[in-house]
Amino acid sequence: MTEFSNTPQPQTKPGIASAEDGLVVLDGPDGVAVTMTADAAQKTGTSLISAAELAEKQVADNGFKNDI
Amino acid sequence: MFTERFLRHRRGVHLESEERARLEASISEIKTLPPRTNIVMAGDELSQSILLLEGFMSRYIDDRNGLRQLVAVHVPGDFVDLHAFPLKVLDHDVATMTAATVAIVPHSELEAITHDLPALTRKLWFSTLIDAAIHRAWLFRFGRLDAVGRVAHFISETNVRLMSAGLSDGRRFALGLIQSDLAEICGLTNVHINRVLRQLREERLCVFRSSLVEILEPAKLAARGQFDPAYLYIDLQSAESPSSRPRLNS
Repeated sequence: MTEFSNTPQPQTKPGIASAEDGLVVLDGPDGVAVTMTADAAQKTGTSLISAAELAEKQVADNGFKNDI
Repeated sequence: MFTERFLRHRRGVHLESEERARLEASISEIKTLPPRTNIVMAGDELSQSILLLEGFMSRYIDDRNGLRQLVAVHVPGDFVDLHAFPLKVLDHDVATMTAATVAIVPHSELEAITHDLPALTRKLWFSTLIDAAIHRAWLFRFGRLDAVGRVAHFISETNVRLMSAGLSDGRRFALGLIQSDLAEICGLTNVHINRVLRQLREERLCVFRSSLVEILEPAKLAARGQFDPAYLYIDLQSAESPSSRPRLNS
């Protein structure tokens, strides 16, 4: 039997960030719509990169399959 | 006639002349209110409800930092806080957004209607169910749509609601809201709203000029906001001009 899940799934497409009036606007993925100061955006970016590196290591170490 | 817009063009619901007369007779007072006026505060004990005749009103909740989230916008013809009749105390505030004219209906009159006119009572109930349907659509909007989609959905929804009230021709309507109102409605910053409105204009979907909204492509705007008007229970055939009906699949 095939099971279908309608719950939100991890995004495989990146959000799009742009600069607007001295602020950073992030659109997507999905319902994400947030405005940040440049400093907050830079720190968020750094945090995202760190988390992404850790997630990649988890995949390599444990064989998680991100075949979404 | 004060109740002319109440449940106007709603699918499967029609106020009989006796019912309309009773509703008219239940109005105790007509009030004209300035913009940005609080009418009901959360926690207040209420003994009357408000039928909006002219203008726009909102229901809102402020967070602990005082930042506001609008949870409903009301257009002429809406019974703004009819749910206060059974609830007596609301969990949100109610305010005018623009100058507004309202009809006050005492709860004692509504109580009498529930005893005397069960069919009208069901129609009043129906109107609160429409409010609930709109709330569900707003939840969907916040949960699933991006910034452009949220604004497109709200504009499409407002257009259809105003068509029902006879205040939009399907493409143009007066919306006496400012950019920060749209921000609070869509959960976006002013900067974000500004960018979204520019994008909608550049994509030739919708243009804001002062307080006037012109929808250049109703069907495309509806599609951009995943807006399906079914939840408004409006008979679009009678409410609209033929060329302006939003269609998701076009």
